[in-house]
Amino acid sequence: MISRQEFLLRARLDDTTLTAWIAEEWIIPRSAAAEPEFAEVDVARAELIRDLRQDLDVNDAGIGVILNLVDQVHGLRRTLAELLDDRRARVTPSRDGE
Amino acid sequence: MKDPYEALGVEKTASVDDIRKAYRRLAKKLHPDLNPGNKKAEEQFKEVSAAYDLLSDADKRARFDRGEIDASGAERPRQRYYRDFAAGADADHQYADASAFEDFAQADDFLSELLRRREHARANAPGPDLHYRLPVDFLDAVNGATIRLDVPDGGTLEVKIPAGIETGQVLRLRHKGAPGRGEGKPGDALIEVDVRPHRFFRREGDDIHLELPITLGEAVLGGQVPVPTPTGTVMMRVPKHANTGAVLRLRGKGAPRHGGGHGDELVTLRVMLPDKPDPELESFVSGWVGGKSYDPRRGMQP
Repeated sequence: MISRQEFLLRARLDDTTLTAWIAEEWIIPRSAAAEPEFAEVDVARAELIRDLRQDLDVNDAGIGVILNLVDQVHGLRRTLAELLDDRRARVTPSRDGE
Repeated sequence: MKDPYEALGVEKTASVDDIRKAYRRLAKKLHPDLNPGNKKAEEQFKEVSAAYDLLSDADKRARFDRGEIDASGAERPRQRYYRDFAAGADADHQYADASAFEDFAQADDFLSELLRRREHARANAPGPDLHYRLPVDFLDAVNGATIRLDVPDGGTLEVKIPAGIETGQVLRLRHKGAPGRGEGKPGDALIEVDVRPHRFFRREGDDIHLELPITLGEAVLGGQVPVPTPTGTVMMRVPKHANTGAVLRLRGKGAPRHGGGHGDELVTLRVMLPDKPDPELESFVSGWVGGKSYDPRRGMQP
């Protein structure tokens, strides 16, 4: 787990920006402990948000839309991967006897 | 390595602004996080961003144009992309979203099962419950105690054992389970109690059973004998002529009952001869007429 201080450093963010991103739910820290904690996935997500804003010139309204769609694409890809895995697992044994 | 101008699709004479625009246009198409699973896009994106790094820096661009440096080595190493966390084993994070498939799922089919399994990964979902087994000493279980339980993540839980708890009962510590996602509350810690057996106490329901050795003299003549109970030693009157197997009841010395009161302690007597043979006892018993007419095995003929 990564502390807020370390996260700001790693993601090259300032405190105000991070607070705004959390308020937008672009970044969702774990808040079970007294201090919110971050994970590697949050660092990578922050880099994606920075790429979108700085390199791709996406405005703030667009960021939320993109993140939502990207997460849905990953959900779809994952479900599809699991379905395919399941299908392969069912098909393979019948070929063992050949 | 491709020529950077070619990679961005701009003329050698392109302005800084043209180069930025060209990069933006390509990055929007090729950014790896916008093309999960597309290896070709990733390779192209690497080329494009390396080209942009070189050409967006006026000094580097000038040196490249003069032929002082080539385009190789300009690729910037990049940490993992977001998509690397959104697939495979890492995918159970708070951003995972499978809702785009929900309309396909029918009750009880494979797909809805998949979606259910992932439900807990939603943003702000409460954390899962954690299960523990806690061995508890017999007397702590009867009398109640506070036990510190070391948990795998390095913390400790203070578990209040209510008096009278039995093996298999589960204690729930609210919000002491795994952390929630986002604003979600932690799950609960569920602690299954495993009461260790005692050297001489045995529990049946609310009653405590104890086998108590007594001397021949105490058995024949009766008297006050000390008896261990879960709350300490008490004196108990053994009646005259108390035989092995006789059960004496100590009221209220058992385990606490649901809704108040206590069970009893049931003391089963066991007559013990002295450790070593005793000549005086032997001579008495050999001359003891009454003892010879008693057959404890009558009624045992098959």
